[in-house]
Amino acid sequence: MQIKKILLYGYFCVCFFSSYAQQSSQGSISGLIKDKNGRLISGASIRLHAGVGTTSNQHGAYKINNLKVGKEFITVSALGYKKEEKTVLIQANDQAVVDFILEESVNQMDEVAVLGRTEQQEVNRQAYNVTALDASKLHNTTLDLSHALDRVSGVRVRENGGVGSSFNFSLNGFTGKQVKFFIDGVPMDNFGSSFQINNIPINLAERVEVYKGVVPVWLGSDALGGAVNIVTASNRQNYIDASYSFGSFNTHRSTVNLAYTSPSGFTFRLNAFQNYSDNDYKVTVTEADLYTQQVYQNIKVKRFHDNYHNETVIANVGVVDKKFADQLLLGITLGKNYAEIQTGARMESVFGAWHRRGNIVMPSLKYLKKNLFINGLDLRITGNINLGEEQNIDTAYRRYNWLQQVKEYPGAGSERERSMYKYKNNNGIVTANLSYNIDEKHAFNFNNVLSTFNRTGSDELFPENSKYDQPRKNIKNIMGLGYKYAANEKWNTSIFVKYFSQRNKYSQSYNPSGGWGDVAYLEQKSSFNKVGYGLATSYFVTPSFQLKASYEKSYRLPETDELFGDLINLEGNIDLKPEKSDNINFGVSYQTHINHTHHFSIDGNLLYRYATDFIRPRLNPNETKQVMGNLADVTNLGVDGEIRYSYKKIFTAGVNMTYQNLRNNTKFEDGYTMESPLYRDRIPNMPYLFGNADASLFFNNVGKKGNILSFGYNILYVHAYYLSWPSQGDALTKRDIPRQWNQDVNVMYTMNDGKYNIAFECKNIVDNRLYDNFSLQKPGRGFYLKLRYFLNNY
Amino acid sequence: MRKINKIFLFVIASVQLLGCDKPLEYFTVNDGEDVLTGKSKFVITATPVGTQGVADYLLLADDLENGKITTQGNGIEQDGSYRYYVTHKNRFFSLLYGQGNPGAVTTYRLDSLGKLVKVSDFKTETVQVFAPVQDDILLMKVPRSGNEFSQMYRVDARQYRVAGEEQINIVQLAGNGERAHFTWATQVGNKVFAPYMSIKGCCGDAFGTSYPDSTWVAVLSYPELKVEKVIRDNRTSYLGAYFNNGLVETESGEVYGFSPAAATNNTVVTTKNPSAIVRIERTTTTFDQNYFFNVQEASGGHHIAAWTYLGENKFILTMYAEPGSVSGSKRKFAVADVLNKTFRWVSGTPDDITSVTTINNYAPLDGIRGYIGITTASEGSYIYVFDANLGTAKKGLQVEGGTITAIHKLNY
Repeated sequence: MQIKKILLYGYFCVCFFSSYAQQSSQGSISGLIKDKNGRLISGASIRLHAGVGTTSNQHGAYKINNLKVGKEFITVSALGYKKEEKTVLIQANDQAVVDFILEESVNQMDEVAVLGRTEQQEVNRQAYNVTALDASKLHNTTLDLSHALDRVSGVRVRENGGVGSSFNFSLNGFTGKQVKFFIDGVPMDNFGSSFQINNIPINLAERVEVYKGVVPVWLGSDALGGAVNIVTASNRQNYIDASYSFGSFNTHRSTVNLAYTSPSGFTFRLNAFQNYSDNDYKVTVTEADLYTQQVYQNIKVKRFHDNYHNETVIANVGVVDKKFADQLLLGITLGKNYAEIQTGARMESVFGAWHRRGNIVMPSLKYLKKNLFINGLDLRITGNINLGEEQNIDTAYRRYNWLQQVKEYPGAGSERERSMYKYKNNNGIVTANLSYNIDEKHAFNFNNVLSTFNRTGSDELFPENSKYDQPRKNIKNIMGLGYKYAANEKWNTSIFVKYFSQRNKYSQSYNPSGGWGDVAYLEQKSSFNKVGYGLATSYFVTPSFQLKASYEKSYRLPETDELFGDLINLEGNIDLKPEKSDNINFGVSYQTHINHTHHFSIDGNLLYRYATDFIRPRLNPNETKQVMGNLADVTNLGVDGEIRYSYKKIFTAGVNMTYQNLRNNTKFEDGYTMESPLYRDRIPNMPYLFGNADASLFFNNVGKKGNILSFGYNILYVHAYYLSWPSQGDALTKRDIPRQWNQDVNVMYTMNDGKYNIAFECKNIVDNRLYDNFSLQKPGRGFYLKLRYFLNNY
Repeated sequence: MRKINKIFLFVIASVQLLGCDKPLEYFTVNDGEDVLTGKSKFVITATPVGTQGVADYLLLADDLENGKITTQGNGIEQDGSYRYYVTHKNRFFSLLYGQGNPGAVTTYRLDSLGKLVKVSDFKTETVQVFAPVQDDILLMKVPRSGNEFSQMYRVDARQYRVAGEEQINIVQLAGNGERAHFTWATQVGNKVFAPYMSIKGCCGDAFGTSYPDSTWVAVLSYPELKVEKVIRDNRTSYLGAYFNNGLVETESGEVYGFSPAAATNNTVVTTKNPSAIVRIERTTTTFDQNYFFNVQEASGGHHIAAWTYLGENKFILTMYAEPGSVSGSKRKFAVADVLNKTFRWVSGTPDDITSVTTINNYAPLDGIRGYIGITTASEGSYIYVFDANLGTAKKGLQVEGGTITAIHKLNY
């Protein structure tokens, strides 16, 4: 109900603003930025005397709306070029077209600068500890987002199996919900299992930004250890990008992304994708015959109950570049997924019928207005609500083993926990962002994210249970205010404050009369208010040598399951406090070249995390369920770095390494007065040394002028780590995840300037055994072929 | 250009060779008939106190009364922290409690040098009850919601595999709309006596009941595992507790039952009956209506949490520390003689107890001594040596690094 009110309110606001904007008489200006050779320059800065500004897009184009009638003085600058200035007359309801041709500045004549900075490089130049992954370079691969992110330093994505399997994202030692995900700045908290980074294809993203430890205020969220923002190709006006890939384990994936914008400003955008896999790869197990109990050691068997598929469509219609809105989009996301569950937490638990399904039905609204009322004031509002459902189905009273033998028992039983439980979280999110660039030096940003949660669930097998279901509702609001001061081109600093608040409503059922089935509720409420803050500063010693430092006091508010329990194995704890952490980063980045042919870039980061009140499970008093508590303190002193090298346009290679020294800082365990024997021990079951290396070789003009043939190689290394505390037990008997090497190779052929693409990949080429969690094995060698058609500016 | 290609290929080829896995190792079963020398060792299991990635460790000790052992760089690591242990036929079984998933069992023995060696790995279910019966270990999986069947497995203690399985419909067994939840199983003669609690098994209050003032013991045939009879009483609440044995057969063949009087509804204790010890007549398999030992009264209001049998009708009773309470981890200890119905508090145990071993205590059955693992907030873990004659306990072996979860003895 609340959400409807908010949406309605937002709608009235939009109407009001748009009618206001229509009354004034204003003009606009647009044009192209080129160099002397006619090459378009992206990322050039366009400034008006009044303080309004923009940057040119990847096609070198720019546009500024809602300018006051009269004379305007325009300055255009771009790295590696001389400044250019022009005066132009703005007329009411007219669009002035002003193109610029920039001259290269002599002292900056290196190839890197001449190429200009891509948006991804611009993001990396922020004061935050951020790594932007240029996803468009990976569009010919069969990666999904989680595997692409796995190549970023500081990040490890651990999976339970093949396509669509559950995953655990860790960033500098923070895991699970401690790291938040966003898509175009909108939190993905409520998207359900049908739209997650393990099933979103890389082609949906233009780039992916990974903010480590310190999260800018415009990504409003209670992230404890960082955030990942997926930026979709929203600035392309007209394009089609369609691809299909197939390969080992009966894996099929396809994506279609297209956008159409008419000259009048009507726009239609569609993203559709599908993944299908049997995941029937071979695993090595020791298994006993279900009937004779004969044991077979280290036999290779096929997985037989691991089919996964998902289908998702995201459609948006709306208008762009109108007086009342630079962008107004109404959208809907529809999707579903189906996942069979092959194993439990260990390979010994084999299932043959248990499965899960889920869907997403999510209407959404996006509104963007630049220069609202006054120049430099931009407003962005988004809203969505997920009405999708998730269901867990375990009704077969059977026992399976790896030999695919089955024992069936009579009666109403299950493989694990008899269930057809179906639930809806009714999660809604409204975000509002107001930014005000006063002039080149001062900028303010205000951000608010409101999310609501109201879980309803039922199980048709146990209809009487639902009346004991406790109402589980909460409202969370995160408000942020940031200020950026750019003293000059060399030095800029941002400071911000975030205000977190959460209201929970929870009812405890009790039996007033003692009679069977009699139930009454005792209502409990809880709430938190916390203030977080931070700072990020950056100094350019030279244009290609940057120093960064940032700090944030961050909080993560407890999730609903942690507060209310899950009715199965987790008991609620309404007294949970937010987790908190002090995150500090230092970074250096440097680019150089030898004779304009050998290019090098070096990035290094040093980070420190001091986290307290970690939310962790413990047993409830009668040891029948788990309950979450604020139990652990952890510190992490880590370093990561990346070195890249390229030779002309022929060869490129890079290597990154991450080391994190995660230590248990819990001196006294809950209820103890003696020092914990695990104090300052390394946190177990967490990779602490890992890295990636890649190399690509390009052959230009193969077959036909403009066609490119490339060979690529990628290797992932994860150092061995213990599953339990390193100091405990005899080292010879300790269980660990052995060191892992995973090598992938690919061949790509691009024709007609990228219109037609063929890629062939081989993953895990030496067929190594890969593990992430306990004994769960991941796929061996696999072959994949991808065909892609891409048409820009049709 | 050609040079780059060569270097590129060479680097890739060398890295690929480097990055290959070693072949897997095979495990050979290391078992045979015991040749005993009359020596023995204690297997003590400990779990470090922590909140994640915690595993149990198996430690060996020659003596429970003196010295120190540690989990620091020592002990055989066990897979997973929820593990349960049972010793039968001179083999030590380590069972994984896998939260409803099938669970792994590892078996150990002492070799001729007194070293703990793995004998076998096999797979059973996650179970709540595991008790030696004849040549087997009887495992019972008791679902607290959903599934209506308790699955029972007979594991041959020397073949290390499931020898047979049976099921009982626990909703039918309860017969009152709730579920019969077996607390434990005890071999009595050639039968298995399995006390159970009646639980709702649903509705956000799985362990609650509307029948808090009754006592039930199912009598099962063996090895058929068919319910032959249910022995009932209404002077106490249910016997034993979740993961806690409530019955013992003494040398004279008497069967005593222990009730903590802890039946709840919506997590509030609702039984009106006291915490007491009752007796089952073996000849008639009925509760002996002439025997009733009101321990709650004798102790001044305390409830029984667990017991350790010392032999000759003597028990160490582990009591909840506060009168009238059945929660919290603090405990007091008492010596009880069930034949003479005497009760005496034990002196010498610490006040800030955080954990106590319950079903996995050790007693040489001499009627005097008992060994219980106690962990305190300030001093960590010690095995306490109890003396029933003196009514005292004193610190014995120190176990550094974790909470003691079991004390077992193996011969070699």
